[in-house]
Amino acid sequence: MYSQDFIFILLFVVLGLALPMATLAMIGPLLRPKHPTKEKLKTYESGLDPVGDARVRYNVRYYLFALMFLAFDVETVFLYPWAVEYHNLGLYGFTEMLIFLVLLAIGLVYAWRKKVLEWK
Amino acid sequence: MPELFGIPITGANIAFFVLALIILLSGVTVLMMDKLMHMAVALGGVFLGVAGIFILLGADFVGIVQIMIYAGAITILMVFALMLTQNGDETRTAQPHPTRTWLTLIFTVVFVGIIVIVLRSVQWPVSQNAIEPFTQPTVNLIAQALYHTYMIPFELVSLLLTAALVGAVLIARKEEE
Repeated sequence: MYSQDFIFILLFVVLGLALPMATLAMIGPLLRPKHPTKEKLKTYESGLDPVGDARVRYNVRYYLFALMFLAFDVETVFLYPWAVEYHNLGLYGFTEMLIFLVLLAIGLVYAWRKKVLEWK
Repeated sequence: MPELFGIPITGANIAFFVLALIILLSGVTVLMMDKLMHMAVALGGVFLGVAGIFILLGADFVGIVQIMIYAGAITILMVFALMLTQNGDETRTAQPHPTRTWLTLIFTVVFVGIIVIVLRSVQWPVSQNAIEPFTQPTVNLIAQALYHTYMIPFELVSLLLTAALVGAVLIARKEEE
């Protein structure tokens, strides 16, 4: 069956989850000494005392970058099948993708001109 | 082949039920969580499960895209949006009236019962001959369709993406001011 190729990926996912879980949650507590004091339990043991809540309002710039990342992420999705099939598509496919990328670059130039990419 | 409730126990079936369980559990977690941030992360679990279903059905490229776009970008976008707007964690809404809870339960049970009865009573058409596997990996088939047969729609997608990008920048900048 076709999806048997993905059994290896499944194996990697399972191992990738199981290894840190086994070491951090099961074997670790058995091996490491545990004598907690008030100082040790602080966020930064020998550093500054944390002030306020961990959840603060983030700068809107992060959101702008995330939005742009989403648009270019979708663009990348179109690049993958093109790259795989590149040799069969030839010059025709190359020009096609060039038009695609130029059109998207216009969007990038627009964002650039609007100073979205600047980090003040 | 061993059977359980009339369903043959194969690797694909086991994978399907595990994935369905992941999707359902994540979906219920989305509804049960108190904090919006936890809901957004749980939604990522739903996306990952759906990606697994895609891969199980042989649409491997769509599955990977699902992980890339939905589990990756959309979840991140939601988390960023929440970090931007949410200051407190007071997302708990008022508890509904107990009568309403019971009514919801009764109607849900009746609805699910009807669905199960209908699904069981229908004779589903089953293909007699085995489904032909794809002659090529789906990535190549998608590429041929996208860059040969549907060239104009593909180029229009770039226009759409540019419009989305410009629109997002416009709206987000207006919010900023």
